[in-house]
Amino acid sequence: MSNNRGVLLFIARRLALGVLTLFVVSLVVFAATQVLPSDPAQAILGRDANPTSVAALREKLGLQHSAYYQYTHWLKGIVTGDPGDSFNAQQPILDYIGDRVVNSLFLLVLASVVSIPLSLWLGGYSARKRDTAFDNVTSNTMLGLASLPEFVVGIILVLLFSVRVWHLLPAVSAIGIGQGPWSDMKGMVLPTATLVIGAVPYISRVVRASMIEVLESDYIEMARLKGAPEKVVLWRHALPNALGPVFQVIALNIAYFAAGVIVVEALFNYPGIGGALRDSVRVRDIPVIQFLVMVLAAVYVVTNLAADVATVLVTPRLRTRMQ
Amino acid sequence: MAFDPEKGLVPARYNRRQLILGSGAALVAVALAACGSDDKTSSTQAPGATEAPGATAAPGTEAPSGTEAPSGTEAPAATEPAGGGKAGGILRVGTLGGANDIIDGQHIVGKSDIARQVTGWEPLLAFDPDFVPGYDNALAKDVTAKAADDFVVTLKDGIKFSDGNDVTADDVVYSFQRMLNKDEALYGGSVLRQVMDETGIIKVDDRTVEFKLLQGVSNFKEALCAYVCAIVPVGYKRFDGDPTTQIGTGPYMLKEFEVGKQSVHVKNPYYWDTGKPYFDEVHIIDFADGDAMINALLAGQIDVAGDIPAASAETVSSTDGYKVLNSAGGGWLTIAMAVDQEPFTDVRVRQAMRLIVDREAMVEQVLAGYGRVANDLYSPLDAAYIGDELPQRTRDIDAAKALLAEAGKSDLTIDLFAPNDTAGLPEMAQLFAENAKDAGITVNAQVIDGGTYWGDEYLKRTFATDYWGTRNFLLQVAASSLKDTAPYPDDHWPPEGSTFEQDYKDALAETDDAKRKVITDKMQKELYEEGGLIIPFFQNLLDAYSTKVVGLVERANTLNLDHYGRGWKNLYFSE
Repeated sequence: MSNNRGVLLFIARRLALGVLTLFVVSLVVFAATQVLPSDPAQAILGRDANPTSVAALREKLGLQHSAYYQYTHWLKGIVTGDPGDSFNAQQPILDYIGDRVVNSLFLLVLASVVSIPLSLWLGGYSARKRDTAFDNVTSNTMLGLASLPEFVVGIILVLLFSVRVWHLLPAVSAIGIGQGPWSDMKGMVLPTATLVIGAVPYISRVVRASMIEVLESDYIEMARLKGAPEKVVLWRHALPNALGPVFQVIALNIAYFAAGVIVVEALFNYPGIGGALRDSVRVRDIPVIQFLVMVLAAVYVVTNLAADVATVLVTPRLRTRMQ
Repeated sequence: MAFDPEKGLVPARYNRRQLILGSGAALVAVALAACGSDDKTSSTQAPGATEAPGATAAPGTEAPSGTEAPSGTEAPAATEPAGGGKAGGILRVGTLGGANDIIDGQHIVGKSDIARQVTGWEPLLAFDPDFVPGYDNALAKDVTAKAADDFVVTLKDGIKFSDGNDVTADDVVYSFQRMLNKDEALYGGSVLRQVMDETGIIKVDDRTVEFKLLQGVSNFKEALCAYVCAIVPVGYKRFDGDPTTQIGTGPYMLKEFEVGKQSVHVKNPYYWDTGKPYFDEVHIIDFADGDAMINALLAGQIDVAGDIPAASAETVSSTDGYKVLNSAGGGWLTIAMAVDQEPFTDVRVRQAMRLIVDREAMVEQVLAGYGRVANDLYSPLDAAYIGDELPQRTRDIDAAKALLAEAGKSDLTIDLFAPNDTAGLPEMAQLFAENAKDAGITVNAQVIDGGTYWGDEYLKRTFATDYWGTRNFLLQVAASSLKDTAPYPDDHWPPEGSTFEQDYKDALAETDDAKRKVITDKMQKELYEEGGLIIPFFQNLLDAYSTKVVGLVERANTLNLDHYGRGWKNLYFSE
């Protein structure tokens, strides 16, 4: 019982820290979009601005109020789930980019579902076959892939599979009107592959290192000595203890996906939040920019929080320390 | 976080305000003379309201008043296109667009909006390939000037909207009322309001409308050629979710539209241009990124791509089955010297600056080669343009040094400002700063935040940069070369003692084309000799297409993809 309380306290503390982080992020985001080097209304209107239109737009954007009022008003909207209206589309932000958030989440989930098991298997197998030809080849390949930015990977994939060598897969996503991305699974292959190739090297290398460390530990030797089958040694004794660091890397990678989708979405013309962010920056749709940046920050905070909690739960040492 | 506040604010290479070629601003000639500042931009959605059209027709070539102009010179086409092509199929068009796309028969924001607008709507007159107002791609069969301020428009017979209703004078009246309506904030509107009001739109009979203008506008026909000056049915409203409301006379009608993604257009069964269009459907697909658009083209996911990155042109043309459409355009960037501020009050300094610039290098480095060297004069598509008849100004450092020495400015140091939000301007400023070193003077290229650049100091700086679409010479004069009345007097022209302003007024009032040409020649020569603008080049329009698509012609144009195949009706598949 006391054991659980310790863990719950830990989760509560981490949640509070996460909220604090998001609060700080909100300050930074607000400051960045509001205190740009020029008046936002002037920036939006550009060359064709005139005093009347600038004044009208300032009013529309609420710029006549104090920065404090603007910030608290905006923060209240974010907290109560009403982030306001898109300045550009003149409709509620959630209506405006709801589909895009879903599309990006679908891509993120797909990339995670493929990359995490693949990394666990690849890392675990490499650890067991340490210093064999298999291990050397995969290690070096992974190292090479890890050094490629995702847009390079994406371009190479497009050149190989769509445009130059083979014409097997679509070069850009072609999701029909009113349809979800699952209607175009063929078009999901390259964007997903790009993200997976970006993530697998990192996760698998951490799994491998972590596994090796565990496999060399005394309790594994003990398990082997007492005659436990190799399968049991690996899955019952080794893997749970190797998972702690892996959760951290997975969390980092999901966060990486959240940012990586921006590049990947541009490359594959995928209608997600990356495109929305880009559009809103281009037309200075400040409410949408603020909202999307907060969403991305929240993805970071939540995945890291989840990873910390999961790490504690699978690691007896950490769990017991909290009693 | 791929959010760089510096880079993030650069609106790619497509600036909305550069896109508005061919909008209703043709009337600017007169309108701008009295243009109130609050009329320049009626809404934040329409920052290009005053950016002008491809309105460039030569006044001298307008059909004489009172004569019946030839209508429908194109022979009615067979259902199958001539020349071995095949009717049918789905044309997939790639355009640069995004979340701010709209569909409106009389308004646009970005390039994808133009592609959709020309698909569904047509103006009363349309420029012929040589930029003369013509009837071929338009709804009027005759436009006659009863006087310089009184025009009578007669509709072609048998033209129907896509819902089967006849196009009548009532629709024309409504269309112009809508453009005049300030609340609609349409591109053509702000300038139309300056030359006409609602009382001046008079229905004569079912097919005839008379426009009584507030003043003489000798080039009113050019205004009617603006593609956004299109005819919509009575009661028409902008797309707001229901495609069936988007009724027009164009070759295709809207079936589905998801903002930021794509639109589907089907054949207009009542289209008046017999035999056309050829495709069963046209899909217009949005791309946020030009490179993704090129990949889609080369992977066979789209058939034509409008406005491609210059860097990708080589890739396209070296791939079998794909071609680049490299059309001369009339858009230009400029370095402006304020002729009423030191040191540019001295004409010799202005002349020196024009001799310092390396025009070829600018075409190569700013436009990646896709443009033509210009001669410090604007409006290249106007038949009255004389920039190619005057000696081409080339780089001459010795002459520049001599002029600077004469003016006592051999050790000049000056700041040249450029905004960071408009592609091309920073590069041009930096290149000019490099060019200036050879002449022994110091030009500091100051690339500053766009919001600051276009703010209070805009048009007040001594040495700055700007960008323009293409328009008729007199329209451009009204827009930028009359310092007391022009909305964008880049170089604060004309200087004290010049007759330029009077010449302009004379030209506008002059109904005799030959006599007007004499005046505009004089004005252009003055700008060429003494003006405050450095115009190093004109930009080309760059598109790509699959060779399966037939009908795109590489020629001088104001809109991409050969005026979007005039709403795609001129295009078809080869097999």
